[in-house]
Amino acid sequence: MWMTLQPVLGEIILAITASQFMLLTGLSKSKKRPDLIRLMAVVGLLAFAFVGFVTDRNVTETFGGAFINDDFARYVKLIIGLAGAAAIVLSRNYLRSERLDQYEFSVLLVYAVLGMGIMVSSNDLLTLYIGVEMQALALYVLAAFNRDSLRASEAGLKYFVLGALSSGILLYGASLIYGYSGSLRFDGIALALQGDYGPGLVGGMIFLLCGLAFKISAAPFHMWTPDVYEGAPTPVTGFFAGAPKLAAIALIARVLYEPFGDLAEGWTLALMVFAGLSMVVGALGGLMQTNIKRLMAYSSITNMGYALVPLTAGTLAGVAGMLTFMTIYVVTVIGVFACILQMRIRNGIVEQISDLSGLAETNKGLAITLTVMMVSLIGIPPFAGFWGKWFAFGPAIGAGHYFIVVLALVASVVGAFYYLRIIRLMWFAEANEGFVAAPRIERSFSLVSAVLLLAMGILPFITYPGLNLIRDAASSLFG
Amino acid sequence: MSDFLREYLPILVLLFVAGGFSVALLLAAKVLAPSEPDREKLSTYECGFNAFDDSKMKFDVRFYLVAILFIIFDLEVAFLFPWAVSLEYIGVYGWTVVMIFLAELFVGLIYAWKKGALDWE
Amino acid sequence: MTIGLTEYLTVAAIIFVIGTFGIFVNRKNVIIIMMCIELLLLAVNINFVAFATHMGDMAGQIFAMFVLTVAAAEAAVGLAILVVYFRNRGDIAVEDINLMKG
Repeated sequence: MWMTLQPVLGEIILAITASQFMLLTGLSKSKKRPDLIRLMAVVGLLAFAFVGFVTDRNVTETFGGAFINDDFARYVKLIIGLAGAAAIVLSRNYLRSERLDQYEFSVLLVYAVLGMGIMVSSNDLLTLYIGVEMQALALYVLAAFNRDSLRASEAGLKYFVLGALSSGILLYGASLIYGYSGSLRFDGIALALQGDYGPGLVGGMIFLLCGLAFKISAAPFHMWTPDVYEGAPTPVTGFFAGAPKLAAIALIARVLYEPFGDLAEGWTLALMVFAGLSMVVGALGGLMQTNIKRLMAYSSITNMGYALVPLTAGTLAGVAGMLTFMTIYVVTVIGVFACILQMRIRNGIVEQISDLSGLAETNKGLAITLTVMMVSLIGIPPFAGFWGKWFAFGPAIGAGHYFIVVLALVASVVGAFYYLRIIRLMWFAEANEGFVAAPRIERSFSLVSAVLLLAMGILPFITYPGLNLIRDAASSLFG
Repeated sequence: MSDFLREYLPILVLLFVAGGFSVALLLAAKVLAPSEPDREKLSTYECGFNAFDDSKMKFDVRFYLVAILFIIFDLEVAFLFPWAVSLEYIGVYGWTVVMIFLAELFVGLIYAWKKGALDWE
Repeated sequence: MTIGLTEYLTVAAIIFVIGTFGIFVNRKNVIIIMMCIELLLLAVNINFVAFATHMGDMAGQIFAMFVLTVAAAEAAVGLAILVVYFRNRGDIAVEDINLMKG
């Protein structure tokens, strides 16, 4: 029994933590309980992140092959677990100051991470659907977590309606794939593609891909992103921008490379359309924004476009490039949102870009860290963002997709305007009233993130183990 | 008449019988029943007192809460029924899995209860 | 003529399209949008069950059961968010969901 359940160990830990320990502790009357439950959540998430290093690497499949925990899943879960733990730690001060400190926040976040874990480990359409829905249902509620705020509930409602539509589309695709391949299992679908297959299978794959594109907010399915990012509580937005995107794009990689590997000429074009549109929409849409969370929404649309570029290559280097890019992006996003959480004046939280005006005079530390993030997002060496793009665009050039790479470079230049606007505002504009002193957690998170972005760019001995991990992860999709 | 249509003949007959029967009953009530309307009898009736609101009023939000909880706990039966009829094939493993599922559901019930979602007031 | 797989798939496709259009065309009430979402999921269920009986494979029917359960959970979460929105706004007309634009 123990041996067969070993691959799901991380998920079991999370499920027990969330539903048994956290939920039931929450019902006690103790004063300290939100902090106690946050501690449980962080411990559970760290265990989930690192359990892949402990369990047997050769035992990968369980539940009759419906669930797979290969190196690819292990690596993605490592990043997702760490991002989830960071989101919980970062949310503490925000929730307290906004009088939202209910322990359900941590429980929902752990459930969302559990859903993502199931997503990246799915080896069967049913597991895929359950994972996608589990993370989505938890995220809808998290978006509307501030239930006295009209904005937050509107964000939750929009996210729910469009998210439910997308899972409907995904599910319709799944039903067509099932019908025309005769199997829910990924290897069964791959087998069906060896023989004669009808247009139904290709159509099903396109529907499935559209549903998943919704989850990574790739254009033309990006409409919900700016509104949800703006309306949701800031730590939730920071979480949205990182972990769920990584989980969904990892799922896209697995679905396209494993069951649909033989349809590569079909999905390459679809991916290019998604990537190209996302980059254009994100780069142009971000230019006129005044709210920094909205700006980060357009930034994430563009970045998901970049992340799809290496996947078009269809090679091992492509998957590795996507993982490298997404890892660096998640680190950057955590840092940026730790900075946004520090934007607080005496009357409360502000989130206009103009509030950053003259930050270099009033708060030099924050200005420097935020500048590092922005420069890394633009992709100027030696910061890690440059290497992220290097590894992302390289495989696409290798596969001869020059057009999409040129488009990506143009989008990078256009996108650089809005990052540069923030930098110019911070260093050369009239100073506003300064922000109040930020709590230590937020400051240390933004600092660590900035240092990491610099270190990953210039210190090879830090990056080599990471790159090895990524190469192992990517090669497990080509077993 | 083709075979295909003939298959549906009983349904057509049923439709006519059902329609005719209901019309006949309504007509019978109209013709046979005594009818002496007055003002009191025609006014809106609401449990012994005068109606004080339009019938298209907003529902109390607590009905929604009950509805939400009902949907979730109602659907557990959808899993229990196939489980119950196939218990002899799935053995101890299947039994254990569903027991774990029910335990999860029970945790949810305790949570809803403690949060006061089951109290009307 | 008998009712075969094609007929079931056609019905499911029609229901799916009605659901999708309902979400985009409907301008009045969010509850109707929730009904349209249910329509989408039911169309998918018809697909799954039709395929499963056609192939004599149980997996599709089990999938349909899971879809039903998840649809219920989704409806519950959606209704809860809708109630919260109504409490803040006092109204659930679709035209009014426009606080954030851009």
